[in-house]
Amino acid sequence: MLLLFPKRLSWLWVGLLPALFLIARPAHGDGLDPRILKMEEERIKVIQAVQPSVVAVLTGGGSGVLISEDGYALTNFHVTEAARGPVMKCGLPDGKVYDAVLVGLDKVGDVALIKLLPKKPGDKFPYAKLGDSDKLQAGDWSLAMGNPFLLANDFTPTVTYGLVSGVHRYQYPEGTLLEYTDCIQIDTSINPGNSGGPLFNMQGELIGINGRGSFEKRGRVNSGVGYAISINQIKNFLPQLKAGMDTDHASLGFRLETDDEEGGLVKLLVRQIIPSDAMRRGVDVDDQLVAFAGQRLRSVNQFKNLLGLYPKGWRLPIVYRRVNEKKQTETHETLVRLMGVQRQELSQPGQPQPGPGPRPGPRPGPGRPPIIDSPASKLYKAKDGFANYYFNELEQKRLLEAFRKHGDFRKATGDWALRTTGTLYAGVGPRGKRVVADFTIRSKGAKDRQNDLVQAIVDGLDYSLEPLSDEEKPATRRDPPDSGGLLMALFQYRQLLVHGEKGFVTSFSHGGVEPFYPPREGQSKPDYAKLRVDAEVLRTRHAGVDGKWYFSKKNDETAGQLLGFEIWIDRDEDPCEVYLFDYKDVDGGGQLPHRLEIHFGDKVYANLIVNAWKKEENR
Amino acid sequence: MNRTTRLSPMMRCLIVLVTLSPCPLVILSPSRAEESFAQICDKVNPKLVKLFGAGGFRGLQSYGTGIIVSPDGYILTINSHILNTQDLRVHLADGTHYHAKVVAMEPELDVALVKVGDNKLKVEDLPYFDVVEAAKRPPVEPGTGVLAFSNQFQIATRDEPMSVQRGVIASYSKLYGRIGIFEATYKGDVYVIDAITNNPGAAGGALTTRKGELLGLIGKELRNELTNTWINYAIPISARITVMQADDKEATVSILDIVEKKEKYKPLLPSKKNEGPGVYTGIILVADPVERTPPYIEDVVPGSPADKARLRPDDLIVYVDGVLVGDIHTFHEVLSRYHPNQTVKLEIQRDRKLQTVTLTLEKPKPKKPAAKK
Repeated sequence: MLLLFPKRLSWLWVGLLPALFLIARPAHGDGLDPRILKMEEERIKVIQAVQPSVVAVLTGGGSGVLISEDGYALTNFHVTEAARGPVMKCGLPDGKVYDAVLVGLDKVGDVALIKLLPKKPGDKFPYAKLGDSDKLQAGDWSLAMGNPFLLANDFTPTVTYGLVSGVHRYQYPEGTLLEYTDCIQIDTSINPGNSGGPLFNMQGELIGINGRGSFEKRGRVNSGVGYAISINQIKNFLPQLKAGMDTDHASLGFRLETDDEEGGLVKLLVRQIIPSDAMRRGVDVDDQLVAFAGQRLRSVNQFKNLLGLYPKGWRLPIVYRRVNEKKQTETHETLVRLMGVQRQELSQPGQPQPGPGPRPGPRPGPGRPPIIDSPASKLYKAKDGFANYYFNELEQKRLLEAFRKHGDFRKATGDWALRTTGTLYAGVGPRGKRVVADFTIRSKGAKDRQNDLVQAIVDGLDYSLEPLSDEEKPATRRDPPDSGGLLMALFQYRQLLVHGEKGFVTSFSHGGVEPFYPPREGQSKPDYAKLRVDAEVLRTRHAGVDGKWYFSKKNDETAGQLLGFEIWIDRDEDPCEVYLFDYKDVDGGGQLPHRLEIHFGDKVYANLIVNAWKKEENR
Repeated sequence: MNRTTRLSPMMRCLIVLVTLSPCPLVILSPSRAEESFAQICDKVNPKLVKLFGAGGFRGLQSYGTGIIVSPDGYILTINSHILNTQDLRVHLADGTHYHAKVVAMEPELDVALVKVGDNKLKVEDLPYFDVVEAAKRPPVEPGTGVLAFSNQFQIATRDEPMSVQRGVIASYSKLYGRIGIFEATYKGDVYVIDAITNNPGAAGGALTTRKGELLGLIGKELRNELTNTWINYAIPISARITVMQADDKEATVSILDIVEKKEKYKPLLPSKKNEGPGVYTGIILVADPVERTPPYIEDVVPGSPADKARLRPDDLIVYVDGVLVGDIHTFHEVLSRYHPNQTVKLEIQRDRKLQTVTLTLEKPKPKKPAAKK
């Protein structure tokens, strides 16, 4: 299997392109079944409707498709890689050449998001509507469009028409990482230069990005077997791509082996497990993995397909089965945080990090020099771990603005306090114990303080933490016991409320969209599919502590509201999870949550009702 | 969209459109076909199996495709190298897997019959293709739209469905193909398809009408003998060929024979070494003092087939009908399989160039030829 790169075209090929004929009308319609004529007319209509959205990526030599009126377009990573720089030139079927800039990358999934610049500010681009690739079936018709063999000098795309040969296909990695999971297999002819171009269903909806073919003995031309990345996979990554991220795919941290009896169905057994969230959730060697992300597992390919759909860091439910000492079969369901697959993630801590690492797969494209002098260069900002940090800053800004609509606390730079009563579960058991818990976050500078300080009285016990002090004991950073670091979490929360992006010295970035599972009170066996909400994510690092913040992205008045956050005292441990409920107005304007549910690992630490928030402005 | 829409016969017909191109272009008809094809895929797919066997080295794939021809687990496939193993495995469409045994092979037809399940591990009620029915159907005309189902490139495992492709029958004709230097064993009628169906692992897959009716078994990866281009073909289920047997009697063999006789089927073999009457070429080879002496021509009997073909001393015989003959022993062995009056194509090296000559073989002479040139 190889990627579709154009070689220099030979005009001899032109005669072989059946696509050219498909748009030719019969000279006489006499005698033809009117239904056939109608079908043909409909097909031509669909082609004409979607054609303006098809992009010829000139730098790099491939295709693409516009997906928004402000110029965002999808293509293959291996096409942008060949452009050898973040700025490029693209042609549209209107015959014009546009400047474009790289926005986000999914190297493992071979997807890139680019943005075309309008000729005049405010000009709108034609774009393709995203379809639902899970509705596709083998046997459906499809249209591939793009620029095979770089034929079209006026950027009018070539159209080919064919069958969907298979859905949910798995294709092993090309090179080291770049794999096609859950892809669409087509007999629709795709050739070098089609890379990155759209695959449409017959309703004209975008269902995939064409990118690979199975080539063996017959050379790098259509072999009747092409592959498109499913649009539903891309949808999971799209918010991260829009945030300028260099995204990563996922692993669960264990190796599976199949075990089956003749005549039976496959069982996927855990054979090796590395320290991971899955291990902390109790998965062990010899356990059988039964379901992942809500789907029962039937084969290794199917599991890899499912895993490939999700970005690193997402939390998804798994079901595993174990035969215990009493020979009884236990079934467990739990949420697991997905690990990354790219090299930096897999290297052992303490060992030197490899550089950017070997790039997956593709060879360099036609040797064109990178474009440096382009208006698109203004939309580019380099930063480690990002394809283009400029777009991350845009997303941060947009999200923080929405967040502050629920309360702008930037002036409350003094001490903060919250008084709560609630139920403490840690060390008490499932029934809990009614307690009083008060927390104070004292700010440096306020009342001549030298250092930030968090103090708490929980159930009559005193705790105190200097979050920025290097001398603080590890246990203190995790106080109160069994909370995973609630004092540190509240300190970080105040940082976000008061200082925003400036409150996090080491890093602050938008992390796209991830699923979030706010717990329901009194629910012992959660239904994760029902709990799940998709939330916009901020990722932070400050005081040696990682934070992940989840914001409502509902299209209503809650948009931008903070739903909860997770604070990692240590990256290799479970975070302190704080879920925020009951937003109410507070003195001085704005809203703050009035119920906090704190989880650590598999347990609930406490459920606290806030009686009062107090915050001071610094003099 | 109505997923239960049925196609009228009108809609299945093919329309020939004359376009800009000088050659007529066939456009495939059915309008709301997308739904129907998906249904047909669902119907056909459970009747196919994935085969895994020998191979996996030197560009030989270790996987293939087969079609179920009985509810108790008989599977028809193409006779290929993947069957040469004790560990032949089958994945059924529901994701279950079985060991399989080869119960019959017919090299002349290039098909084999495989079985899953036995008394210990019963297999029953499998969905299957009715080959008796399929063999009765007359061959479809060129221009007929077809679907091809196979596990090409081993894209699917377990319960994953086969790849489906659509195409048109380009012609119904005799196969002249070869694999590398070897001539294809099957020389009967085939469907030639306009789509790229014969990819690695596709052999043994199903060629069906656009309604999912079985037409043939997708063949191997072959090149055309004349043009050296890849052929996409399928052996019709109605295939029937005539084989000249050792006793010089003709026998016919069909796919149906194999499927009906099952384990009892004995392959028809053409006359083999020591069974044939021997042939005369008039070629006198160099002395063979050591093993593996290359077949250099020492001399040629005047008036003999070799002389008529203008063979000369010092010519080196490299191929006999595409079979590499590295030494004199192999040359004799290969030649012993031929009959008088057959023609044989020799590729010879002369002055460092390969040339092809054709000989018409004669009956062996009762006495040794006396004269030398």
